[in-house]
Amino acid sequence: MTTDVIQRQRQNGFWREMLNGWVTILTEPSLDTFYAQKNRADLLKTVLGVGLLGLVIGLWALAVKPASLIIETETAPVELLRVIFFTEADFFIITLILFFIAKGFGGTGNFVQHSYLLSLITVPLGMIVVAFLFVGDKLGLTLAAVLNPLSPIGIVSIFMILFGFYGLLLLLFALQATHEMQASAVVYTLGTVLAGWGILRVASMFVAQEENIITTEWSFIAGQWGKGTLQKLLLGHLWLVAFSVAIAVVLGVVIGVFITWPPQRPRLSHVVVLIPLALFLLLWAASSGMMGEGMADSIMATVKGWDRSLTRVEGFFGPPLDIVAAIISKPAAVGMIGVVFTIILYALFLAGESASEVTLYIAGIILTIPSVALFGVMIKPLGIGPFNAAFALVLYAQLPILRNTYTGIKAVAPEITEAGRGMGMTELQLLLKVKLPMAIPVIMTGVRVAIVMLIGITAIAAYIGNDTLGEYIFSGISRAQEKRYIAGAILVAILALAVDYFLGWLQNLLTPKGLKGRREAV
Amino acid sequence: MIKFESVTKIYPGTSSPAVDKLSFTVPTGEICTIVGPSGCGKTTTMKMVNRLIEPTSGDIYVLDERGELRNVLEMDPIQLRRGIGYVIQQIGLFPHRTILQNIGTVPQLLGWDEMRIRRRAEELLEMMNMPLEFLDRYPHELSGGQRQRIGVARGMATDPPVMLMDEPFGAIDPINRNILQNEFLRLQQEIKKTVLFVTHDIDEAIKIGDKICILNVGGHLEQFDSPANILAHPANEFVEDFVGADRALKRLNLVRVEEVMDSRPPLVQATQNVEEAVRFMRERNLRFVYVVDADRTLKGYVRVKDMEGKTGWVDEFVEPAATAIQMGTNLRDALSGMLVVDYANVCVVDAYNRVRGLVNTEMIHKAVIESESPSGEEGEG
Repeated sequence: MTTDVIQRQRQNGFWREMLNGWVTILTEPSLDTFYAQKNRADLLKTVLGVGLLGLVIGLWALAVKPASLIIETETAPVELLRVIFFTEADFFIITLILFFIAKGFGGTGNFVQHSYLLSLITVPLGMIVVAFLFVGDKLGLTLAAVLNPLSPIGIVSIFMILFGFYGLLLLLFALQATHEMQASAVVYTLGTVLAGWGILRVASMFVAQEENIITTEWSFIAGQWGKGTLQKLLLGHLWLVAFSVAIAVVLGVVIGVFITWPPQRPRLSHVVVLIPLALFLLLWAASSGMMGEGMADSIMATVKGWDRSLTRVEGFFGPPLDIVAAIISKPAAVGMIGVVFTIILYALFLAGESASEVTLYIAGIILTIPSVALFGVMIKPLGIGPFNAAFALVLYAQLPILRNTYTGIKAVAPEITEAGRGMGMTELQLLLKVKLPMAIPVIMTGVRVAIVMLIGITAIAAYIGNDTLGEYIFSGISRAQEKRYIAGAILVAILALAVDYFLGWLQNLLTPKGLKGRREAV
Repeated sequence: MIKFESVTKIYPGTSSPAVDKLSFTVPTGEICTIVGPSGCGKTTTMKMVNRLIEPTSGDIYVLDERGELRNVLEMDPIQLRRGIGYVIQQIGLFPHRTILQNIGTVPQLLGWDEMRIRRRAEELLEMMNMPLEFLDRYPHELSGGQRQRIGVARGMATDPPVMLMDEPFGAIDPINRNILQNEFLRLQQEIKKTVLFVTHDIDEAIKIGDKICILNVGGHLEQFDSPANILAHPANEFVEDFVGADRALKRLNLVRVEEVMDSRPPLVQATQNVEEAVRFMRERNLRFVYVVDADRTLKGYVRVKDMEGKTGWVDEFVEPAATAIQMGTNLRDALSGMLVVDYANVCVVDAYNRVRGLVNTEMIHKAVIESESPSGEEGEG
């Protein structure tokens, strides 16, 4: 008798506590709230909470009878039990996957806390969604219409999207509170899940082998993959980015090193930097008839010979060769590069650090030119195609790299360079053994920013006739096929995320060990 | 040996020199501290030796490892710097390199093989009394004092005859600085480097230097002499002000207690009988006397008034001594210890607590007066 009462009291407190948890999570979304709830973690509460959600979903299913959930032949109680069981199973499978990924990123929480905090989000949000669907159904709307952001009942769908974002925010809090990891690791955890989910969706579309009609973005992507167009565009996109970034890294780091180099007295050997200028003058003289006929002809013939020998090579190495061929085949292009290089390098050699402000200022201005405009302006001197694109992309990418190289090298404490110099390092040894290793984390951040930015801008390069993922966006817009351009946008976004993730890993790998610990210690 | 010959440095765009016709010579195996107010060009002076700063005029000579006096301005600056030890504050360690790599910086530049670098680094850590596992750690994993020791070890990596030290202990707390200074002085006894040591702290300059070079703003040499002479005979008002009103007290720093103590003090044995001890003290008019055992180990002291008219052994009346001064202590610390316990006479003991002498305030006073006299070189040692 008495034990019964105590039990019931405990049960009352138990349910009230759980309800309390849902309300605070929804009304006070903050890291502290999740930290507080973490201490109340209890596996039984999780199971019962999710079971309750399952019950609500089951009741909704019985009332609405969506084809995906209800098997007509079974009785109501069996249906209910089945829905509850699947809800529990789904919840724990997804939770477990998230748990292992979070562990992979250095999470410290245990599974009870992890699943409890996630259930505190899932259960109330899930119930609200179900309530929405129920109301929508009673108003005669189909599930697809409610969830489609472009359908006439946009307000409902916008609300649902905002609601989704809110859920995402809560999820970030929950993961951070459970695993006490850095915010970036939390984002990576979720990013991994989303990327994995996307891949699974594409794979399942493959298996389903849907028809040619565009039904969803994913089926479109799967179809394009099947035809081989997607691979070609993806490869073209990546090559263009990789090529441009490679040049921009060299350009940015070299200029960054130059503008942080101590000023020097001019020497004869510095004339080396004039070679590109000489090349430009040679070509210019040859093409403008200032030389004797025979000499000009032979130079131009050589240039044209390069052009012809670089006929298009199909396959994996096609795109970069296209770019190289495009550059080499245009004397004007070589000249432009030559002049820019010469002026920058020579000015920097002589002026040293005082030129740094001007250089950074100019690099900053370049970034403010809209990409479509820059592509357009460059059509006249450079034509359409990969070289025009690469030229503009290099101009865009060099700013973050240049600026971060400058900042990274400048951030090396003067005492440290002083020590190196005082122990007899040459300026070059000082650069290679001290300044650059210490600046690498900062430079890599710049490269990362540049690459992710270029992945976006490269999409626009499709506009001037390059094979990039932007192709889907432009053709989608011109054909008014919304699934097509949405698919293009999704692909570009996924690519950017995946590449950024990979680069983050690479950056960590390249950071010298002594600097990692120091950063944590600070 | 480091020799400055009317060295002048005028920075471009300034009319007044930062260092003005500086001439002095640091003898081989001695430490010369350069000290002065900020803006006196002490760091500039030091950096001209390894040509981090080029002198405007004048010559600097350094004795190289083959014993030749060479003009640094005629040497390749890179080779010159690799041949001179360079120590700066602990933040000058390379944070991205391990302790081994830090110590091995110059050897690596000179092309030593890895085994030789590691052996040398281990040797240096032992010299610094540091555990060998530090070799694979990074600077941020060490404390400030440990990092500074590594900085000194790095400067000594190739065993250069000449070392430049730019306020090496400046960023260390007073307690650790004192420890580091003592360790460095002990090390110098063994390695006998010619050192140019820049500091802004006159106490450090007095403690570390065999010679002190006092500079004034604008790089004027005000006085170059041994610490004792500078304290006893400041060349002018500037030096007098700079060394401070307590220069008499500072002079006590330079004299060790064994130089002034009475090394044949009256003592009684713990095993003597009381009457004999009382008679001994009456003869010498002593109110109390220190008690030792057979091998002169300090037992404590006895008072005559406690023992008068009693019989038995001295041992029974011994009271423990509140303090004793270690051999090698300077007079300033000795005086401070005496003031604390309010004893007129204090025992001087060696490392095994054996009594080696007795010191009192009169002896200290006498030492101060003697060092004031023109021939006062006793303070040096």
